[in-house]
Amino acid sequence: MPPKNALLLRRLVLLSLLLLLPETVHAHAEKGTIGGFVSGFVHPLTGLDHIAAMVAVGLWGAYLGAPAMWLLPVIFPMVMALGGALGVLGVPMPGVETGIALSGVALGLMVAFAARPPLWIAAVLVGFFAIFHGHAHGKEMPISANAMTYAVGFVMATGLLHLSGIALGLLVKWPWGRVMVRATGGAIAAVGFGFLFGFIQG
Amino acid sequence: MTAPGMGDFISGLLHPWMTPTHLIILLALGLWLGQRVPLRLGLPLQVFVPGAAVALALTNLHWVAVVPPPLLVAMALVAGAVVALEVRLPASAGAVMLGAAALAIGLDSGVETGTPWAIFKTLLGTWVSLGLGLINAGYYVSLATERQKKWISIGVRVAGSWIVAVSLMMLAFAWRKAHPG
Repeated sequence: MPPKNALLLRRLVLLSLLLLLPETVHAHAEKGTIGGFVSGFVHPLTGLDHIAAMVAVGLWGAYLGAPAMWLLPVIFPMVMALGGALGVLGVPMPGVETGIALSGVALGLMVAFAARPPLWIAAVLVGFFAIFHGHAHGKEMPISANAMTYAVGFVMATGLLHLSGIALGLLVKWPWGRVMVRATGGAIAAVGFGFLFGFIQG
Repeated sequence: MTAPGMGDFISGLLHPWMTPTHLIILLALGLWLGQRVPLRLGLPLQVFVPGAAVALALTNLHWVAVVPPPLLVAMALVAGAVVALEVRLPASAGAVMLGAAALAIGLDSGVETGTPWAIFKTLLGTWVSLGLGLINAGYYVSLATERQKKWISIGVRVAGSWIVAVSLMMLAFAWRKAHPG
């Protein structure tokens, strides 16, 4: 392997270690400025269904290549925040949990089958599912949390999960990486099915 | 707004950076300025800096109404959306955006107590901080975007989308707070 590729691989492996971070975070403070940030940051990291879907967005984007790799993570936070706002406002939305589970299934399968739809279809699909994720987060937002720092933490954590997915997705440069990325997509779809049929509880 | 233990000028200097709603607007406007290469500082110098001076001066006249925080957040949302969508605004629209932000932030930075000299020093610090802060933010972003690296300009757009997301959530929180139950 050329040295440049080896260096890139080493960086990708290090970046993908970020995925393990959720297991090390145990914070429950919900008050004050810092408490709001910690609560917001931890929230997207506490549900396997959320993590799987966020990583899948990054993975799929990386698989599709530019501009999708960057466009999807631009679209997702904005639409997710719209869903979050609906959740905060108490606007009812049917089938939120089903939508979240389906997002894992759909996005995971897209990666597993290396689907390459037109960019607008990918954007609409990702945006559609982002509303469910945002609504669930918004509905569960603690009333005592600092609004701004909660929102900043929440958006940053989501963005970092996308980045983790993109970092993993960049492994498609290598043949073995392509297999690994598609297998990860399959695993994400399996997790989505698990939540959809109740084999895995949130 | 004066922080105890600090000089009045320094306290004013720090004010925009310690007020989240002001900070998020400055950040969004800085991203917007830096996104358009080559960097053009005409509008901020001709509109934002004088606008902020007028608004800060108006805070000493007691007829000025309090700026509701959701309005400031809405401004951040608009500026963030312009960055995220990479909208090419005409100069007049850019001037309106900068002018509105300068007025809103300035009017929201009033000093309630203190001697006239202390109030003047605090407001002067805020004005310097607003002007230098915006121009610096734009300059540093433009340094990155001028390198013509695709991923940097995308990173700027991602940052804009994060500002939109944070602003949307904050508006929803503000609404829930105002209408409990």
